Amino acid sequence: MTEAAAVRVSGLWKRFGEHVAVAGIDLVLPAGRFIGLVGPNGAGKTTTLSMATGLLRPDQGTVEVVGHDVWRDPVRVKARIGVLPEGLRLFERLSGRELLAYTGRLRGLPGAEVDKRATQLLDVLDLAGAQHKLVVDYSTGMRKKIGLAAALLHNPEVLFLDEPFEGVDPVSAQTIRGVLERYTASGATVVFSSHVMELVESLCDWVAVMAAGRIRAQGTLAEVRGAETSLQRAFLELVGAGGRDAGSDLDWLGGGPR
Amino acid sequence: MTAAPSDATALTSVLVRLKLSLLRNGLRQSAGRRAAYIASVAFALLFAALQLLGLVLLRGDRHAATVCVLLVAVLALGWAVMPLFFPSGDETLDPTRLVMLPLRPGPLVRALLVASLVGIGPLFTLCLATGAAIALAHGVAGAVTGVLATVLALLLCVALARYFAAANIRLLTSRKGRDLAVLSGLVIAVGAQLVNFGAQRLGSSGPSTLDPAADVVRWVPPAAALGAVDSVSEGAYVTGAAQLALSAAALAGLLALWRRSLTRLMTTPDGSTLAAAGPEKGASRASGALGALLPAGRTGTVMERGLRYVWRDPKTKAAWVTSLAIGLIVPVFNALQGTGSVYFACFAAGMLGVLMYNQFGQDTSAFWMVAMTISTTRDAYVELRGRALALLLVTVPYAVLVCVLTTAMLGDWPALAEVVGLSFALLGAMLATGAWTSARFPYSIPQEGYKNVAPGQAGLAWISIFGGMVAAALICAPVLACTIWLHAAGAAAWSWVLLPVGAVYGCGVAELGVRTAAPRVARRLPEILVAVSRG
Repeated sequence: MTEAAAVRVSGLWKRFGEHVAVAGIDLVLPAGRFIGLVGPNGAGKTTTLSMATGLLRPDQGTVEVVGHDVWRDPVRVKARIGVLPEGLRLFERLSGRELLAYTGRLRGLPGAEVDKRATQLLDVLDLAGAQHKLVVDYSTGMRKKIGLAAALLHNPEVLFLDEPFEGVDPVSAQTIRGVLERYTASGATVVFSSHVMELVESLCDWVAVMAAGRIRAQGTLAEVRGAETSLQRAFLELVGAGGRDAGSDLDWLGGGPR
Repeated sequence: MTAAPSDATALTSVLVRLKLSLLRNGLRQSAGRRAAYIASVAFALLFAALQLLGLVLLRGDRHAATVCVLLVAVLALGWAVMPLFFPSGDETLDPTRLVMLPLRPGPLVRALLVASLVGIGPLFTLCLATGAAIALAHGVAGAVTGVLATVLALLLCVALARYFAAANIRLLTSRKGRDLAVLSGLVIAVGAQLVNFGAQRLGSSGPSTLDPAADVVRWVPPAAALGAVDSVSEGAYVTGAAQLALSAAALAGLLALWRRSLTRLMTTPDGSTLAAAGPEKGASRASGALGALLPAGRTGTVMERGLRYVWRDPKTKAAWVTSLAIGLIVPVFNALQGTGSVYFACFAAGMLGVLMYNQFGQDTSAFWMVAMTISTTRDAYVELRGRALALLLVTVPYAVLVCVLTTAMLGDWPALAEVVGLSFALLGAMLATGAWTSARFPYSIPQEGYKNVAPGQAGLAWISIFGGMVAAALICAPVLACTIWLHAAGAAAWSWVLLPVGAVYGCGVAELGVRTAAPRVARRLPEILVAVSRG
C-alpha cells in the first residue's frame, strides 16, 4: 500500500484471565479514510480500540498512530487523537457546554477558542437547546453527540469511535454522519467499530473484519466484499455463520390457525 | 375489557402471588441477601414482640394514650416517607410495570392494597397497632373499637405508602429521585441524632411534656383510630365515633386519591420522555462566577469541576457532608459535654483530608477523559494539585472555624494557634498520602445504592484509607514531637510558633506528596482506569 498509515498495529495481544480477547492482530489503517472495524459482539473490537488509544495496556505488541508509538510517545499521540469509547461514562454532572469547556481546557486549548468551538459544535450537532442541561439527563443519542463533540474539540488527526451509532435515533445518526463525512473530507481519519453491516457499507471505504480476537480480512470495501453481493453476506462467510438456517423449527409462527 | 368481581379476586390473588414470587426470587439470588432478610425479619419480629409486650404493660398507665397515639403517628409518618427513600425496596410498588396489562383502576387498587399487606413492614405495624389497642381498650365497646382501629390503622399506613409512591413515582424513577435515595442514608443518620436528642430530653422531663402534642395527634388519622379506642373506653362514645369516622373517611379519601393518581400514571406518557422534551430551565454558564475567580489553565479547570461535583454529584456530596458534619460534631459535642480537648479540633482536618483519598475513584469510569489528557508527569502533577487546591479552598477555612469554635467553647484561647498549626500539618499530610493512595490504590465507587466500594475491592479501600491515615500520622510526627517538647520544656508561651511551623510543614508535605505521586499516576493511567471502572 502506498498510502501513509494512520494507525499501524502489530502483534497485539490481550488476555483477561483465561479468555483471549485479542489474539495477535496486525492492522495497517490508511490515513484520510473512513474506516470500519466490524465484527460480532465479543469479537474484541472494543479491546482493540482501547489498546490503540492508550486506555488499556496490551499484553504484547505495538500500536503506532501517525507514526508515533502510543505507549512510548503519549505526548505526541494523545494530542493527535480523539476518542469516543463505549461503556465508559462521561462527567455526567456537568452540562453539555460545561463538559466541552472542561475537556477543551484540559487539552490545553485557550479558553476563548474552546468556547467558540463548543458553540459551533453544539449548533452543528443540534445540542444547542440542551447545552445547559446536565449530561446525566441526556438521551443515548445526545450522549453520543456530546461525546463526539468532546472528541472533535481539539481537531484531532485520527478519531476513534466505538459503536458511535449504537442506540442512536435516525435523526441523530444522520447528524453524526454528516459531521464525520465533513471531517474525513478534510483529510482526517475516522476509525469506528460497529456490528451493523449496512451502516459500515454505506459509510466506509476501508474495512477490517474481526472475529474471536483475530482479523479475518482487511482492505477496501470492494476487496473485502469480494464476489459476494453485500458486506453482510461476505461477513457471514468470513466469520463462518453463512449457512446457518434459523427458524426451521418455528413452523407454527405466523399464518395458519392461532 | 371489563373486570367482573371474580376477575377482581383473581387479580388480587395474582398480585399477592407475584409479591411472594418476587420476594422468594430476590432471596434466591444470594446467600448474603437471604441472611440479611432473615436477620431483619428476626430483628423486626423481636422488636415488635418487645413493643407489644411494652404496650400491654403500659395498660392502665396515665400516659398510655399519649404514648400509643404518638407511636402510631410516628409509624404512619415512616410509612409515608419510606417509599421516597427506598423506591426499589418493593418492585410491586411501581404500578407503571403493570401498564401494558388490561386492568381497571378499581380492582387494581384493591389488589395492590391486599398485596402490600404481605411483608415484614405490615406485620410490624400490625403488632404495634394491636399492642396500642390492647393498652387502651377497656370494656366490650372498647375492645370492639380496638379491633376496628387496628384494621383501620394498618390499612391507612399501607395506603399512605402506596399513595405517596404512586404520586411521586415520576420523581422516584427519575434521576433526581435516585439522587435523593443516595442522600437518604444521611437523612436517616441526622434523624437518628435528633431522635436521640429528643429521647434524652424526654428522659429528663417525663412523658407529660408530650401531652399537648398527643391532644392534637389523636385527631389525625391513623392515630385518630387509636384515639377512638381511648375515647370509647373512657365513655366518650360520640368523640370516639367521630375519631373512628374520621379515620375511615381518611382511608376512603386516600384510596380515591391513590386511584386517581394510578389512572393518571397509567394513561400518560413515561416521565423520562416528558423530562427530555421539557422546556429548558436554569442556565448554567460554561464559566460562571466561580470560573472567574479560579486560576486559568488546567489548575482552574480541575478545581472548577471538583467544586461543581461537590454540589451536583450525590456520592461526592454525601462524602463531603459526612466529613464536614463529623469533623464538626466530634470536637464540638465533646467540648459541650466537658470531656473535650482543644486537640480534638484536629479531627476536622483529618476528616476533610480523607476526601483526597481515591480521587480517581470519585471520577468513576469518566476518568478516561482525564487519562486522555495526561501525557506527561507535569500533566499528572497539575491534575493532582488542582484537586488538592479545590479541597483546600473549603477545608482550610472550615478547619480554622472548627478550631476557633472548639477553643471558644473550652475557653482555652492560648492553645488556638497551636491547634490550627497542628490541623494544617495534618491536612497537608492527609493530602500527601491521599495523592499517593489515589495513584497506588484506586477503587471503584458504585454510583447507585449506599455502597462506597465495588464488590471485591473492599481490601483495597481499607489499605488505601487506613494505610494512608497511619502514614499521615507518622508524617505529622515531627510537628507533634515539637508540640510535646514545647509543653514539656515549659515553653508553652512559645506554642504560637506552631502555627507558622504547621502551615509551612503542611504545605511542604502536601507539595512533596503530590509531586512524588504524579509520576505514578502518569505511568499507571490504564491500570487506574480499570480499577475505577467497576461501579
